[in-house]
Amino acid sequence: MTTTPRRVSRREQHRVGGTGAKVTARNTLIAYAFLLPFLILLVVYHTWPVIFGTYLAFTKYNIISPPQWVGLDNFKELWQDEQFWSGLTNSLKYILIVPVIQILALLVALLVNRPMKGIGFFRTAFYVPVVTSFAVVGLIWNWMYQQDGAVNTILRMIGLSQKGSFLNNPATALYAVMFVTLWKGIGYYMVLYLAGLQGISPELEEAATIDGASRPQVFWNITLPGLRPTILVCSLLSTISAIKVFEEIYVMTQGGPAGSTYSALFYTYSRAFQDFQYGLAAAGGIIIAVISIIFGLINFRLTRGGKADA
Amino acid sequence: MLKARPAPAQPDSFAVTAARLKAKRIQRRRLTDVLAYAVLTVIALIMLYPFYWTLITSFEPTGNIYEAKILPKAVGLRNYAEMWKGTTVPFWRLILNSLIICTLGVTLTVTLATLAAYPLAKMRFPGRDLIFYAILALMVLPNESGLIVNYITTIKLGLLQQTNPVIDAIRQYLAVVLPGLASIVGLFLLRQAYLGIPLELIEAARIDGASELTIWRRIMLPLATPTIAAFAILEFVAYWNSFLWARIMLPDKNLLPLSAGLLELSGTFSTNSRAVMAGAVITIIPILIVFAFGQKYFMKGLEGAVKG
Repeated sequence: MTTTPRRVSRREQHRVGGTGAKVTARNTLIAYAFLLPFLILLVVYHTWPVIFGTYLAFTKYNIISPPQWVGLDNFKELWQDEQFWSGLTNSLKYILIVPVIQILALLVALLVNRPMKGIGFFRTAFYVPVVTSFAVVGLIWNWMYQQDGAVNTILRMIGLSQKGSFLNNPATALYAVMFVTLWKGIGYYMVLYLAGLQGISPELEEAATIDGASRPQVFWNITLPGLRPTILVCSLLSTISAIKVFEEIYVMTQGGPAGSTYSALFYTYSRAFQDFQYGLAAAGGIIIAVISIIFGLINFRLTRGGKADA
Repeated sequence: MLKARPAPAQPDSFAVTAARLKAKRIQRRRLTDVLAYAVLTVIALIMLYPFYWTLITSFEPTGNIYEAKILPKAVGLRNYAEMWKGTTVPFWRLILNSLIICTLGVTLTVTLATLAAYPLAKMRFPGRDLIFYAILALMVLPNESGLIVNYITTIKLGLLQQTNPVIDAIRQYLAVVLPGLASIVGLFLLRQAYLGIPLELIEAARIDGASELTIWRRIMLPLATPTIAAFAILEFVAYWNSFLWARIMLPDKNLLPLSAGLLELSGTFSTNSRAVMAGAVITIIPILIVFAFGQKYFMKGLEGAVKG
C-alpha cells in the first residue's frame, strides 16, 4: 500500500519546522557544521560592531588604553561641535537627490523596458558607472570638474557661462559631488525598477489598453500602483545612502573646500581615523543610525508600506 | 477618459478604418521609437563620455589635458609606460594584490554562503528559525560603527603585526577580506535558490545513503549554478572595487589593491594626471570584461535580490 504524502504549503512547512530529514542529534550537528563558519564571521564582523560600537559611544577610547566610561559626554561634545552640525546639515541636504534620482531612474527604466533593437546596449551603458569603483569615478570627475576641464568646455559650447573649478568653490562643491552620486546611481535604481516593471502582469496592461485606456492612464492606474513595493525599496535605499554619503566625498573633496562638503559620516571617519577619538566617532555613528531609521520610517509611511494597492 | 471607438456603418468601411487605424498606430509607434532612441542616446552620452574622455586623454602624450574633446590630439603609450615604471609601488604588484584579494574573497564568500544556506533551506534542526530571523535582523540593523570596530578587531586579532614578509602578506590579505566574507545578501539569494529545488531529489539521495555534504555538492550546487554565478560576479565587482577598508587598514602600501593604490598614486602623481588616467583605464578593464561576459547573470542576480 502506498500513501502519497500530504502536500504541505511552504508557510506550513516553515511552521512545522520545515523540510528535510528527521531532527536527531546527529542531523542537528551536521546542520550546525554547515552554518558554523558563516556564523562565526557574522558574529565577529557584523554583530560585534553593533554591540561594541554602542558601548564605545559612551566611552573615551584611543585603542592604546582601555575604554573609559564617560556617559553622555561624547553626545554633548557632538552637540557643541559646529563641524558635526555642518556635516549633519550636508547629509540632510543630500536627501535632495532622492526624488531626482528616483524619478530619473524610473523614466530610464520605462524607456529601456520598451522592446526595441539594441536596448541591451543602453541598459549596459547605463550600468557602467554603477560597476565602476568610487575610487575611479571620483578621480574621473575630479578631472572633469577642473577649471579648464571638460564640464566647463561643454558649458561654454552650449553658451552657458564658464565657472571656475567646481570642487574648489564652497558654493558649488557639494552640488558637484551630488551630481556624481546621481550619475553613478541612476543605473542601479534603473535595474531595480526594470525588475519591478517586469513583475507587473502584461495582461493587466493589455486588458486596460483594449478597454480603451490611454498610455498615461495605463501608467498612472496600473503601472505605478504595481511598482509601489519597488518604489519603497528604492527610495528607502537611496534616502539611507544619502544620509550615509561618504565614499564620493572621501575621494573627491575630503570634506573641503572650507568644510563645505563635510558629511555626517565623513565627520565620524575623521574623528576615528585622523584624531583617534573612537568613542566620539561611535557616538556620531549612533546619531547617523537613528536618523537613518527615522527617515526609513518616514519613507515607509509616505509609500503606504509599499503595498501594491492603495 | 475613454476614447470613443468609431462605429462602422458598413463592413467595407470598417476594413478601411481598421487599416487606417493600424497604419496610424505603426506610424505613432515609429515616432515614439525615434524619440526614445534620441533620449536614450543623450543619456548614454552623459553616462559614457567621462569614461571615453579618460580613455582618449590617457593616450595623449601632451596638450591641454582637461578640456573636453571628441578625438585624441595624438596617440601614444607614454602615460601607460610611466604608470608602469614610474611609481614607488610597482603597478604589477597592485594588480597582483587585487587578483589575490578577489580570488580569496570571492571563493570564500561564495563557499560560506552556499554552505550556510543549505541547512536553512533544506534541513530541520532546533534553532533554525531563530538563526534565520537573527540574520534577517542584522540586515536591517544599522552597522555604522562597522568600520571602526572592525578596525579594532583586526588589530586585536594580530593581523597587522609585522614579523616575516611572507606571513605578514598573508595576514594582511586576510585582514582585507575577512570582514566581507559573511554576506547576508548572498545567504538570502542562495536560500531562495535552494528552496526551489524539489525535496524528493534530496530525500531520494538520503535514502540512497548520500551524506549531507555529498547532497550539497552533487545536487544543491549544480542546481543553484545560475544564482551562484550571479552572486560570484557581484562579489567579484565588490572586491575589485573595494578601496576604503584596505586604505584605512593596510600599513604596507605594497599590499594595496588596485583601486586603493590608484588613489595613493593620484596623490603622489599630482604632476602627471595622464599617468593616473592610464591607471584608471587599467583598473576599469577587468570589471568591464567580467561584466560583459556575465551581464545576463548579473542583472538576474540583482533582480532576484529585490524580489527576494
